[in-house]
Amino acid sequence: MTRVGAVAPALSAAEVAERAREIAASIGSSHGPVVAVGAQTHWEVGGPVPDLEEALVVRAPSGIVAYDPAELTITCGAGTPVAMLDATLAEAGQECPLDPADPAATVGGVLMAGLSGRRRLRWGPLRERLLEARFVTGDGRIVKGGGPTVKNVTGFDVCRLLVGSLGTLGVAVQVTLRCQPRQSVALWTVGPTGVSAADVRRRLFNPSCVASDTQGVHVLFEGHADDIDAELAVSGCTPVVAGPIGPQGPWRGRISVPVTALRAVVDGLDGLDGLDGLGALATSMVPAAGDGVTVAWLAEWGVGTVHVASLSAEGLLAARALAQAHGGWLLREAGRLGPAGPDGAGPSGVGLDDGFGVGLPDPQIQRRLKMAFDPAGRLNPGRIPL
Amino acid sequence: MTALDSVPTTQRPMGVAPQGPLDISDDDLVSCVACGLCLPHCPTYRVTGLETSSPRGRIAAMRAVQFGGAPIDTVFERYMEECIQCRGCEAACPSQVPYGRLIEGARQALHERRSHDRRRRRRLAEWLGYTVILPRHRLVIAATWLLGLGQRLRLVPRRLVPRGVALPLVSLTELRHPLQPTAPTAPSGASSGGPSTGNPTNAFDAVLFTGCVMDAWQRGTHRSAITVMESTGAMVGLPGPGGDCCGALHVHAGRTAEARRLAERVIASMPGDAPIVVDSAGCGAALKDYGHLLGSPEARAFSERVHDFAEWLAPRVDRLAVRDTHERVVVADPCHLRHVQRQTTPVRSILAASHRTVDTDDDGLCCGAGGAYNALQPDLALAARERKIAALQRAAGGAALTDFRVVSANPGCLMHLMAAGVRAVHPADLLAEALDPEHPRWPRDAIRPEPSRHPGSTP
Amino acid sequence: MDATVPDHRADRSFASPSDAELTRLVADLGVALGPDRARSDPLELALYARDAGVASGRAAAVCFPRTTAEVAAAVQTARRHGRPFLGRGSGTGLAGGATPVDDPVVIVTTQMNRVLEVDVDERFAWVEPGVLNLDLTRAVAHLGLHYAPDPSSQQACSIGGNVATNAGGPHCLLYGTTQAHVLAAEVVLPDGTVTVLGGLSPDQPGYDLRGVFVGSEGTMGIATRIAVRLMPDPPALRTLLLDFTDVDAAAATVSGIIADGLVPAALEMMDADITRMVEDFVGAGYPRDAAAVLLVEVDGLTHGVDDAIEIIRRVGTANGARTVRVAADATERNLLWKGRKSAFGAIARIAPNYYLHDTVVPRTRLVEVLRGVYAIADEQRIKVLNVFHAGDGNLHPLLVFDGREPGVMERVHAAGDAIIELSLSVGGVLSGEHGIGLEKRAYMRSQFSPDDLHVQAGMRDAFDPDGFSNPHKVLPAGSRCGDVQSLPEGVWV
Repeated sequence: MTRVGAVAPALSAAEVAERAREIAASIGSSHGPVVAVGAQTHWEVGGPVPDLEEALVVRAPSGIVAYDPAELTITCGAGTPVAMLDATLAEAGQECPLDPADPAATVGGVLMAGLSGRRRLRWGPLRERLLEARFVTGDGRIVKGGGPTVKNVTGFDVCRLLVGSLGTLGVAVQVTLRCQPRQSVALWTVGPTGVSAADVRRRLFNPSCVASDTQGVHVLFEGHADDIDAELAVSGCTPVVAGPIGPQGPWRGRISVPVTALRAVVDGLDGLDGLDGLGALATSMVPAAGDGVTVAWLAEWGVGTVHVASLSAEGLLAARALAQAHGGWLLREAGRLGPAGPDGAGPSGVGLDDGFGVGLPDPQIQRRLKMAFDPAGRLNPGRIPL
Repeated sequence: MTALDSVPTTQRPMGVAPQGPLDISDDDLVSCVACGLCLPHCPTYRVTGLETSSPRGRIAAMRAVQFGGAPIDTVFERYMEECIQCRGCEAACPSQVPYGRLIEGARQALHERRSHDRRRRRRLAEWLGYTVILPRHRLVIAATWLLGLGQRLRLVPRRLVPRGVALPLVSLTELRHPLQPTAPTAPSGASSGGPSTGNPTNAFDAVLFTGCVMDAWQRGTHRSAITVMESTGAMVGLPGPGGDCCGALHVHAGRTAEARRLAERVIASMPGDAPIVVDSAGCGAALKDYGHLLGSPEARAFSERVHDFAEWLAPRVDRLAVRDTHERVVVADPCHLRHVQRQTTPVRSILAASHRTVDTDDDGLCCGAGGAYNALQPDLALAARERKIAALQRAAGGAALTDFRVVSANPGCLMHLMAAGVRAVHPADLLAEALDPEHPRWPRDAIRPEPSRHPGSTP
Repeated sequence: MDATVPDHRADRSFASPSDAELTRLVADLGVALGPDRARSDPLELALYARDAGVASGRAAAVCFPRTTAEVAAAVQTARRHGRPFLGRGSGTGLAGGATPVDDPVVIVTTQMNRVLEVDVDERFAWVEPGVLNLDLTRAVAHLGLHYAPDPSSQQACSIGGNVATNAGGPHCLLYGTTQAHVLAAEVVLPDGTVTVLGGLSPDQPGYDLRGVFVGSEGTMGIATRIAVRLMPDPPALRTLLLDFTDVDAAAATVSGIIADGLVPAALEMMDADITRMVEDFVGAGYPRDAAAVLLVEVDGLTHGVDDAIEIIRRVGTANGARTVRVAADATERNLLWKGRKSAFGAIARIAPNYYLHDTVVPRTRLVEVLRGVYAIADEQRIKVLNVFHAGDGNLHPLLVFDGREPGVMERVHAAGDAIIELSLSVGGVLSGEHGIGLEKRAYMRSQFSPDDLHVQAGMRDAFDPDGFSNPHKVLPAGSRCGDVQSLPEGVWV
């Protein structure tokens, strides 16, 4: 692993507390929507993008509050860029696999967007990283959820709720994350020709990622060099310079389907080839495995995730329909719609406006949860279609 | 707010606990911390999922009676009687709660109370069984004759009790022939001669305790045990008069006074200091517990002499000339061997040369036989057996019941399993089958004091 | 309370039912489930008055559903009669989470004990809540899989109970607690409706309701089917025993190993007294004269495991370990673990009672906290034994005593209070794996502010606005009274 940037500056707990009080006070002395802003790298994820002109815009502090490598935890301001966090941890031979698509993203932004990184198969979803959060609720309370230790069952799990909440439950000010030792070797490979991703996975103990696209199977190994050699031998994988970047395009999304339905979704995406969407993406795609051929989807095996990209909203809609047909859904990650119209519909009128495309499960519970944190509905209204 | 801030602690009563109606030690009763680790090891809890049929629940019920003023009523009686007394919980208990003592104490209290108000017919039946027949071996044999005849004349249905608790077909041939161990070959090659029945003394290397029901119904197994024991060069004796009923069933039923009388009789039947070998796990456990039951130094010394068949044989097994049958047998440890006598290794080691033993994955959960339990609580006994059979089949790699044999060293378990179509067999019978008839018997001389290796094997 | 805050009925209490009410309740439960599976005999109810904790309560009735529909029917029946309800698995919890308060209907899931489906390729299983933790691992062992969370009670505790408490265990150091192993749960919600939280699709739209439900100690409904992750058995697995003449050195080794870049699968510590007693009990070859021992397990692929062994050896030796023994085979390994898991059994040999705490402290503070724990025990003249999950700083100080000694309970509680205070003062938390239940609610205010608790109360209310599901657990009374700090008038609604 290479260093990705400068280490984060120090941040005192007093500064964080002061900042939290400021944010609480500004919420208390204002009316209307409150929007927490990080690096805006995940800005288009989910429901309609809020209009910053009309909102109270708040920003979390940046910097490391506490880090002791022997604790395997790090506490930082929620506004700390992930690149800086990575650099700080790298100095001690550790990492926190937030793995955002853009390392300029802030820690708080990544957590709120809730998008797990590419290494989820081995290291677990993003939501398992957040141990403690200090945040400001929609009614101006400064609240601590969870605890700073790696193991904790004290009280209800506020942190699980915050991850992926798209800023609708609280303004994260400070977070404590669970870290891990960096593995000595990380190696991307491609699978042997003609062997399915599922078969490659079956041959391996704990690969960090098993992905596939129209070009083949991509496997990430992390660990001891000799162990990786042995795993390469049993799986027939061949090392490559870099992993798949994944489909790129103006309309992007992430399909989540039951892990058992991934195969069917992938087959279906192949079948969408003729559409003015996924199949026509060749020009915007990034070469995979260095052979110049491009792909429009990338499936992550074992975690039910397919990344899709399209040149048009219709392509993404087709992918969403496919996901829904297989018991899944699609979260829009990119495809700017602009502010919602008065009836909630976006200007494109294509039905991607709410970012989810499906009704939320147990909407009543979700609404009541929102009320518990933000009774007046001020935090990022519309981001989650409650 | 409710009064939950003043919830009482039941971990143990504070101060001096009042003496309750059950004749059990308060110290024993409060030693349970209700952690629940016994639950999966209880065959009745396993099949019902009810706290009332678990060791923890039964102890809590005893406490409710002893400390909480709860009545000794039919509900309490049912909870206590549902216990098979396999004592799997006792072996699993991290706090070492003496559950066996507790349940026997509770049963005794129930028995005493029951004597007054139980229906006359049942009392009569119990009296006939426990007091008249079991202690009189001739009556047991006579009853078995009648049963065997009845079976042949189809007067006795194969299934006496509802739904599959059945009695095995009694061998009338066996009943005609009393056990008669032969003397082993003397070191010089000359026979020491003479029958070895009668009053056992130190002239014998071991005395085989034959019991009541087992001697009547499974005498062939005793024959096998004697054959195997003699093949190690041992001179085997049999108990004198009174050495038949061990009283285990009486203890389980709470008939402690009768059990004590029987124990004294058994002790008197086997004087001397020769090891006492028991090929019924239930009887063996009872004999080993005489020290506790009677509390006398003689009884304790007697209990010290008692060995399970496999336990006695294991250090001498190298003297047996057996052929390797390559047969795979699944071991179903009798509870009174596994949990009470805590003997699990010997049966595996005595079969190692002749058979491939396979273990079940159920931590030795009880099969539901439990002495007279399968007749008294057929529903629970059958459910426990179903579970056991599934475990046996898993151990046999999913084989059909007809395709493998199960080894168990207790007559009750054998009969209970056989009634379900399991090919269950006593380890003594397995070994007797595998003995090499051509090979000479180990000479007697080398037996005491220290067992040594077979002359044919390399040192 | 501020008018804009929702009316939290969940903080309510339920009056004791009259005999006539009870009779009708049990009759209706009998109609819903069958008469033999709804019971109210006083003696039977007494057996459901507590779990493995200390506190005792009282149930109105107990019932034994076998299907999701029956659980829902039981919940609906309880509600119709104005009674709260309480889900119960094996009753092995240590914090009174399954202690019935306010005369609830106790809904026991032990008869729902089937493994419904195992998917070998995708490595998950659907199980009913009454399946025992170890039974699940045994059921999938022949497939080369196991269920990772392994609480010490794993032979007896149920998956449903594990979900309620977010159960841990030695191997959660590397693999995470129950939370990380539950994909989905079919739940009967407190209003008697059935839903599925989470799913085989690892991400769900909206808030992570599954994540909130796991560890909610039965206050948000009853799980009736659970999808759990299964883990592949590691190709290499080694267990080490490190032996120290000094407790501080053992504790320093714990953080030293982690700081050196290794997260073992398990990292357990036992102090002098407990080691000696375990050895007397099990005969696993633990050194009787050690001040402390560490039991470390590493797993994974061969070379990584070999490297890990070297790291442990090096760090241990540098910190003064007398010996570093690597278990030669499975038999030796199992014996070592049997010793660790029999620790409570050994305790029963020196005193009839124990009170167990479960705080977590930052592992770099272990040395000072352990010293503090011994000092506190000395001061209160209570014997303390330490056997705990050192790798994640999860202390289990066992205060052992004889409850018949006059005044001893006061000293036990005083020592417990001091240990909790010490743990929190170094940045620790109240409970690592046992939960809050009934017994540790009073300490919640030491860790959380009124605002923190207010938000948590709102989470409970979101699932159970009427407060029917396992009332009075986790949150201390009055958790909903936190002042709203700065909500202005004319708030934007």
